[in-house]
Amino acid sequence: MDPGKFLLFATGGLADAAYLFIVAAGLSLVFGALRVINMAHGSLYMIAAMVSVVVANRLGAGIGFLPALLGAVLVAAAIGAVIETTVLKRVYGHEHLVQLLATYAIALIIGGAARLIFGSNYRTTSTPIQGSLTILGYSYSLYALVMIAAAILIGLGMYGLLFRTRLGRNIRAAVSDPELLNASGVNVTLLYTAVFTVGAGLAGLGGAIVAPSQAVDPTIGDSVLVLAFAISVIGGLGSIIGSAVGALMVGEVISFGLINPTTNSFALAFVFIIMTLVLTVRPWGLFGRPEA
Amino acid sequence: MKNAGARWRSWVTNRRVDRARWALAIVLLLAAAVLPPVSLYLEGQGMIESARFEIVLGVTSLILALWAVSYNLMLGYAGMVSFAHAAYYGVGAYTVAILLQRYQISYFAALAAAPLVAAIVGIITGFVALRAVRLYFSLLTLAISQLLYSVAEGWYSVTGGDNGINGIVTPDQLTDYPTLYYFVAAIVGVSLLLMFVLTRSPFGAALLAIRENRERARSVGINVKAYELAVYTIAALFAGVAGALFPLVQPSVVPGMLFWTENATPVVVTLLGGVGSFLGPGFGAFVFTGLNNSLSRDFPYQLDVLLGAIVLGVVLLVPGGFASVPGLVAQLRRRVVGEETPSIEAETKGEAIRMIDVARAVEAHAIQSEHIERGKVLLKLEGLSRSFGGLRAVDSVNLEIHEGDRHAIIGPNGAGKSTLFNLITGRMRPSAGRVWFDGRDITGRPAHVVAKAGIGRAFQITMIFPRLTVRQNLQYAMLAHRGRTVQPWGLADRIYRDEAIELLDAVGLGPHADLPAGQLSHGDQRAIELAISLALGSRMILLDEPTAGMSASETRHAMELVRRVATDRNLTLLFCEHDMSVVFGTARTVTVMHQGRILMQGTPEQIRSNPEVQAVYLGELDMDEEEAAPA
Repeated sequence: MDPGKFLLFATGGLADAAYLFIVAAGLSLVFGALRVINMAHGSLYMIAAMVSVVVANRLGAGIGFLPALLGAVLVAAAIGAVIETTVLKRVYGHEHLVQLLATYAIALIIGGAARLIFGSNYRTTSTPIQGSLTILGYSYSLYALVMIAAAILIGLGMYGLLFRTRLGRNIRAAVSDPELLNASGVNVTLLYTAVFTVGAGLAGLGGAIVAPSQAVDPTIGDSVLVLAFAISVIGGLGSIIGSAVGALMVGEVISFGLINPTTNSFALAFVFIIMTLVLTVRPWGLFGRPEA
Repeated sequence: MKNAGARWRSWVTNRRVDRARWALAIVLLLAAAVLPPVSLYLEGQGMIESARFEIVLGVTSLILALWAVSYNLMLGYAGMVSFAHAAYYGVGAYTVAILLQRYQISYFAALAAAPLVAAIVGIITGFVALRAVRLYFSLLTLAISQLLYSVAEGWYSVTGGDNGINGIVTPDQLTDYPTLYYFVAAIVGVSLLLMFVLTRSPFGAALLAIRENRERARSVGINVKAYELAVYTIAALFAGVAGALFPLVQPSVVPGMLFWTENATPVVVTLLGGVGSFLGPGFGAFVFTGLNNSLSRDFPYQLDVLLGAIVLGVVLLVPGGFASVPGLVAQLRRRVVGEETPSIEAETKGEAIRMIDVARAVEAHAIQSEHIERGKVLLKLEGLSRSFGGLRAVDSVNLEIHEGDRHAIIGPNGAGKSTLFNLITGRMRPSAGRVWFDGRDITGRPAHVVAKAGIGRAFQITMIFPRLTVRQNLQYAMLAHRGRTVQPWGLADRIYRDEAIELLDAVGLGPHADLPAGQLSHGDQRAIELAISLALGSRMILLDEPTAGMSASETRHAMELVRRVATDRNLTLLFCEHDMSVVFGTARTVTVMHQGRILMQGTPEQIRSNPEVQAVYLGELDMDEEEAAPA
């Protein structure tokens, strides 16, 4: 394979990895701190993508992007806060079966509501940054490169949040030792709401960032949710670095799977084969810690 | 006496609920049976537009009922949440479509092949999915579901890729709608009957035991993974039957049928109908199809919201689903009429243990001091070791325990006592060394094998099946232990009934036989534990801190029960305990462990007076003992 083509596919994988990382990191963070698998995570991603497209088109491409992004993230975070306070609060400590079914029900509700509000047709908006770069004979969309840069910044931002702030310290404590946290006088109820809201906001951010580069409709959350699961499971549920590595693996596997006509219809299958292998050999993932 | 009254009342209520359920089931089955002639009649009267349409709806409901009931085999009976069930339904549908379109095989032959293919795919993928437990199992089924979906979508030459397979023709024999309906009804009926027999059988009892308490199920001799794989495969098989019937109402099969979100249908239907009852999901299927049909034309998206709200409501408010309505009505009426709720009154307060004559406790000390002939060596540990990282939790332990002995292991926290127990019972594998029981090498054997060999555990609160009745706790343990849970027919509740009641009387639990075990007091739950060990025919019982969390008088009575039962039934006891009054009041032999090694072994007297033991261990405990022992 010539280096130009290799670079093209590698960059394509990175661009996928970028938004998938943001979504998966939110899922992973919520699981790490609350021990809840949020089946509605993909729905929050979808809602944010729909909202951002509608707002951006209303305000006009380019100028509209940032307000649309902000609005979409806020909507997702607000829905997250409502879900946490009205539903999840009642199911903490229940068997995971109840939590899975409860968040699954929320996903059904959000999906139906989104079709009611936005209809079920595809919507598109133009990318805020037009134009392309040509490297080694292949052209690259500038927006894809911006997405990659944004994901790196968000990754660093999350690292800062987790390791440089009080909230981050409490979140890490919730992940590693919930009992200690209870004893230390932190308002756990509020912390859980905060964590879930941040997680929902990340789902929204992923959706809003990816929206200009693809067509969105109320079903896009379903396939992203399984990819986010694959990523956080491969990297280890609860680990941000794991999400980054998992997202890279998944993004590149999908991208390079498409390179060859015999494998391209099975590109997604490879992701789930990797996920299955990791779960059977090392269920807590590459960077996670086994549950006691 | 008061309790007996409450028990009788709760039994009557249960009978009423049971009867209401049966009546409901029969009404529903009759309604299903007369659906085609009734809709034809109504069409003739001009009351409905098209009988054909109603009949096809009926066929759809029947197929969905089969699919949902097979899903509930996993969800309701074994407590497994699978996201791959739609995939097996899809595999069934694809098998029929491919055999019909590509190989021109008759529909009926394809219908026979489909469940086999679904079961084969089910057993292979299930084997992979069951490498993980609980949450990770659910995530694995999600991965498997998407994997099968990708294959269906990508394998153009066989599955037609994302176009799927279209234009599937209904066989000539089934073009008449009432015939089609009764054909499907017959297949669904036979499948439901087979599953019904299965859930009531000893095999079904093993599933319930697993759902209630995996760890306990393992220790009564149930091979948990094997049963989970079996029920997973059986569910896949019946999903394959349902999927194979699907092309009769829809002429095309598409990869989207395998996508994970398709599992919403069986999940919603199962919750709608109630996970707690066998036919509930079948009922839910008719409700779902009706709702879907009346709403989807005018309000397609409201339906999703409504279904989500129903699932949420059921999960948060009525965990049993609609089928628990008769039970709820009974409960409400009791509240309104002001009848006492039996469940509260029926809670026991440790009578079983209190019922034992205290005088016998004194007698027990006589038993304690009498000369005992030491039997042959029953349990033998040779150089048993287990390390965690660099730490040697158990370090080259050699120990012989004789038949009929009551052997205590003591030692400070972290001495390795619990690890040693886990090595013996097969919950952990040793790093080195051997475990012999009755001349048989049981080193590193899984917990259910060790349990079958005759080593029981007792006296851990978590070790019962809380929602099964006390009697079922024993019956199911006996079924498992005697290898009868492989039997997929017969009524589990009628097997070993008398034996269970006899054992319950022996430990003083006779009056509580029909109460849910979780409602009993802690002391009585421990007595259930002991009875389970007896039911298993255990020759040796391991007790891990038997009196932890008990009051002083509960402790005395519980240990008296243990001593009495051990003496009556010639059991060997091995226990570890912090309370020295329990140790010296029960044990005939005491082994002291320290930092993973055996420090010394001897009679209680020898241990008490050994200066080395006192130096490392008893120094601190002497004080405790003086506080604890009133004498």
